[in-house]
Amino acid sequence: MMKYHKFLTPLALAVSLGAANVAAAQQLTMGVRGGPESMDPHFSALGSHAEAAKHIFDTLVWSGDDLQIEPGLATSWSPVDEDTWEFKLREGVKFHDGSDFDAEDVKFSIERIPVVSGPTTTTIYVRRVADVEIIDPLTIHIHTDGQAATLPNDFIRLFIVSSEAAADYSTPETAAQGFNSGAATIGTGPYKFVSWEPKGDLVLERNDDYWRGKGAWETVVRKEIPNDSSRLAALKAGQVDVINYVSSVDYLALQNDSSVDAVIGDSVYVMNLQLDQREDTPLVRAIDGSDLDENPLRDQKVRDAIDYAIDRETMVDIVLEGLGKPANQMMPPGFFGSSEDIPMPEYNPAKAKELLADAGYPDGFEVDLYCTADRLPGDGAICQGLGQMLTQVGIKTNVNAISKTVYFPAQARLEYSMFMNGWGTLTGEASYTLGGLAHSNDPDVKLGAFNRIAYKNAEVDKLLQTGATMMDPDERRATYEAAMEKVMADKAYISLVQLQTVWGAKAGMLEFTPRFDEDTLAFFIKPAS
Amino acid sequence: MLGFIIQRFMQAVVVMAVMSVIVFCGVYAIGNPIDIVIPPEATEEIRLNTIRRLGLDRPLYEQYFIFIGNLLQGDLGRSFVYNVPVLELIGGRLPATLELVLISVISATVIGVSLGIYAGYRPDSWLSKTIMAVSVLGFSVPSFWVGLILILTFAVNLGWMPAGGRGDTVEILGIEWSFLTADGLSHIVLPAVNLALFKLAMMIRLARAGTREIMLTDTIKFARAAGLSEATILRRHLLKLISIPIITVFGLELGSTLAFAVVTETIFSWPGVGKLIIDSISVLDRPVMVAYLILVAFLFVTINFVIDLVFALIDPRIRHGASA
Amino acid sequence: MSDQSTPLRRFWAEFRENKVAVVALVVMVLMGLLALFASVVSPQNPYDLANLSLMDSRRPPGFVGSGGYTHLLGTDPQGRDLLSAIFYGLRISIQIGLAAGFVSLTIGTFLGILAAYLGGRIETLIMRMVDLQLSFPAILLALVIVAMLGQGKAQLIGALVAAQYAYFARTAYGAAKAERGKDYIEAAVATPLSTRLVMLRHLLPNCTPPLIVVATVQIANSISLEATLSFLGLGLPVTEPSLGMLISNGFPYMMSGRYWISVYPGVALIILIVAINIVGDQVRDQFNPRLRR
Repeated sequence: MMKYHKFLTPLALAVSLGAANVAAAQQLTMGVRGGPESMDPHFSALGSHAEAAKHIFDTLVWSGDDLQIEPGLATSWSPVDEDTWEFKLREGVKFHDGSDFDAEDVKFSIERIPVVSGPTTTTIYVRRVADVEIIDPLTIHIHTDGQAATLPNDFIRLFIVSSEAAADYSTPETAAQGFNSGAATIGTGPYKFVSWEPKGDLVLERNDDYWRGKGAWETVVRKEIPNDSSRLAALKAGQVDVINYVSSVDYLALQNDSSVDAVIGDSVYVMNLQLDQREDTPLVRAIDGSDLDENPLRDQKVRDAIDYAIDRETMVDIVLEGLGKPANQMMPPGFFGSSEDIPMPEYNPAKAKELLADAGYPDGFEVDLYCTADRLPGDGAICQGLGQMLTQVGIKTNVNAISKTVYFPAQARLEYSMFMNGWGTLTGEASYTLGGLAHSNDPDVKLGAFNRIAYKNAEVDKLLQTGATMMDPDERRATYEAAMEKVMADKAYISLVQLQTVWGAKAGMLEFTPRFDEDTLAFFIKPAS
Repeated sequence: MLGFIIQRFMQAVVVMAVMSVIVFCGVYAIGNPIDIVIPPEATEEIRLNTIRRLGLDRPLYEQYFIFIGNLLQGDLGRSFVYNVPVLELIGGRLPATLELVLISVISATVIGVSLGIYAGYRPDSWLSKTIMAVSVLGFSVPSFWVGLILILTFAVNLGWMPAGGRGDTVEILGIEWSFLTADGLSHIVLPAVNLALFKLAMMIRLARAGTREIMLTDTIKFARAAGLSEATILRRHLLKLISIPIITVFGLELGSTLAFAVVTETIFSWPGVGKLIIDSISVLDRPVMVAYLILVAFLFVTINFVIDLVFALIDPRIRHGASA
Repeated sequence: MSDQSTPLRRFWAEFRENKVAVVALVVMVLMGLLALFASVVSPQNPYDLANLSLMDSRRPPGFVGSGGYTHLLGTDPQGRDLLSAIFYGLRISIQIGLAAGFVSLTIGTFLGILAAYLGGRIETLIMRMVDLQLSFPAILLALVIVAMLGQGKAQLIGALVAAQYAYFARTAYGAAKAERGKDYIEAAVATPLSTRLVMLRHLLPNCTPPLIVVATVQIANSISLEATLSFLGLGLPVTEPSLGMLISNGFPYMMSGRYWISVYPGVALIILIVAINIVGDQVRDQFNPRLRR
């Protein structure tokens, strides 16, 4: 028996007895697709892990509904010199055990991360940090390794744990035990830890002294229900009050269901088709199976043809059943670095055929298309739709919609010629997306690490390198917008659709604003008035 | 008798040793967990560190001996994904699975054997034919499909039962049981029916076949000739004679139901071991897979051992002529 | 029962008495033919992407699609005609069932007869291994092996074979062992006939009836196991769906009332498996001498 759910029984009882009526105002039960991998917030960088941690712990920098950065445990920050940032900390914040929050906790948390991080590493949040210097209890200086214009963005998932409570639980061997048992699970966040079972329920109770104010719910139960249908069924059966990730399939049905409210939010994920730019690419061949003289995907006309062949409207309306938007660039509109000057590509299969013929492929060619089938809603279906559209203009496409556990390792080994997966601009700004995907892969400048198609445009490279060092936000924005326009015009990356996410909630019971990062946070969900 | 027990026990130990090698090597031949455990964007340094931390840089035989060394001290390793001892992970979910399996197998056996005996005893009655028709269905229809239909009918359309999860539990002897609360019971009905259906069909067929064969034997003919009442014949001869295969199957089915629970638990989101193992396979969490398989193997070996002993008690011939 | 006819005729005469089994046999053969001639009887080739249109996707039964013909059973999320997809899916399911059944039959029979014929250490080794495996649930074994080998038709068949050959081995062994003890085999072994000949000519024929029974059941089991694995996401790629894959693809749509995507392939799967099992049952009863009055 696991020792850390001693409180579960009475609470679980309350859940189902009072789910629909009396307890409704005091308790919120959330059915979520994924849960934390541990109660140690520094263990994993997975979105679902951070989402759970945000209930108990705070971050220095808060990322708002639209991913704009806002004060969190830090009230303000500013660069002191080229490689130092100063953070002013919030005064009077107390941990759940009553102790005071101060600079010591920040330093402790930052230094703890590399030690206890699990495989999905949280070190990405502190990769630029060289040293932490405590100036006074409410001021710290972060010395960075070179210039780090986006350091505050890195800190949106830097959770602050108590340097006292977690002192004995900060080695890889002891961390899980200390945090899973609750001994070290002491944060400053809106809810206090009660119990957790891996892949099961996370039970929380309200922190009445929360610095943002008191939350609406006395207790919160976060139930992990990975299966989309089961999660929806649990909502319909009244076992949970709100669920995340309603599948596009079920969304239509929900619209006719008066007992459930659907809340739609834009997601940070954009589906991108990626075309290998190497001279020799493995999975492209002539229609008769023979080798081609050169990689057709390197021909701008072919890439344009592919873009014309794609009917984004149909993809959204039919494949995603309306839950998405046609995309013309790799980030959602409004993000830092998204350009308003990029036109929405046109669907014109006749033109596509014409361009293919022009490029010297009047009979088309054959290609193996690879995509994930189990990572994001609709990815497998979009892939198959894409296959149909390309085949219909003469590019014979063999669709392989496969598991992400096979896809990503093979993609990293550069085994594919044409592939599609979603990319989420989790930080809300372009240095993350363009720096990772569009710069030529160059470990020396730490850029282009996810560029798996050998895409290289010297102008883009230059823009991205200068953009990374610009401290003036307006200049930086213009630089990234220019880079985005160039990348999208080259069409080695073809953005298809931006996904949308749906939450389901009991009708008329809850009020909340969907967040761009798709987090479902109990503190920001209010009972309907 | 003692010699027989010792001999069987030694056999069981050897089997376990062999199983541990097979399972360990088998699971460790699967893919490369590193590619899945760390994100694609990890640097080479992080990658190497993780490999070292998980002990994957050592040769296979070394990993095996480390594993066995720990195993003998009761340590089955730590999950790659959760970084907690595997035993804790599995132990926390075992009661849920055991509860589901026991309820399913026991009800399937009691109902199945009664129906089967009837169908074998009166093979030509319409009721027997119906029972057999249903059993063919239960035997044939894949259990995941039955699960889907059960959810669609009883949870979605009729709304009588919850579609998944475990519901309330009551703690007895430090273990939580859901069949003792009304809410828990309502949660267990659908998965238990789903899991029991296949076993039910199997028990019916087994009992029917046994009954039919026995009813045609000389023993029964003589008993009838001797004027014994049908009830006495059923009770004294039939039940006794069919009990041996049924005990065997009961034991074996307990184990295989445990395995089949994988499917049922996935469909009904039942928080048991089966769901854990499916998740572990998809993320290649080797320690969990190995521990689970070793535990299942251990369970089977134990069950077989116990069945052998029970047989020996029931049937003296086995005990004496034991060499197998 | 007439005695002047061949054994096969006698067998058929007895089989014919069970009307249900005859119907099941007809259904089984019919489905086999549908699968075999899927490309002829299907209104559409559901695997040819150039033929599909997303505009036709998820249409209810009876919809007239852009191809100009009626989708009798509706269409799936990719705009495939469901009836065609079922025929093609039937083909894949049966293919896999037969392939797995046949390979397990061969390997299992060989091991079983070998063990019975040779005796001694080899017998103990083989049969211990087989017993060990029999006590291990097939689904779990298949699950682990599929995870180990990866996705694909050959891998799936491999997993099914590994999970099922032991049943054949046990059956062949039982029958061959009983026969091995008889005088005529001892005599045959004593003559300068080759080992292979004795095994082929004398042991194998005696194992055939029980093996046929096991084979029918195991083919049905393979088909159902494949469907289960596909449902758990460990089966075939989604682009060439077997029946199990079609069911699992369609399941999410059930909640929103688009039952046909999942239900019709499910019905086809069940009819197939039930038919095979009923035929297998009848054959078993006929082969079981103890049920003869």
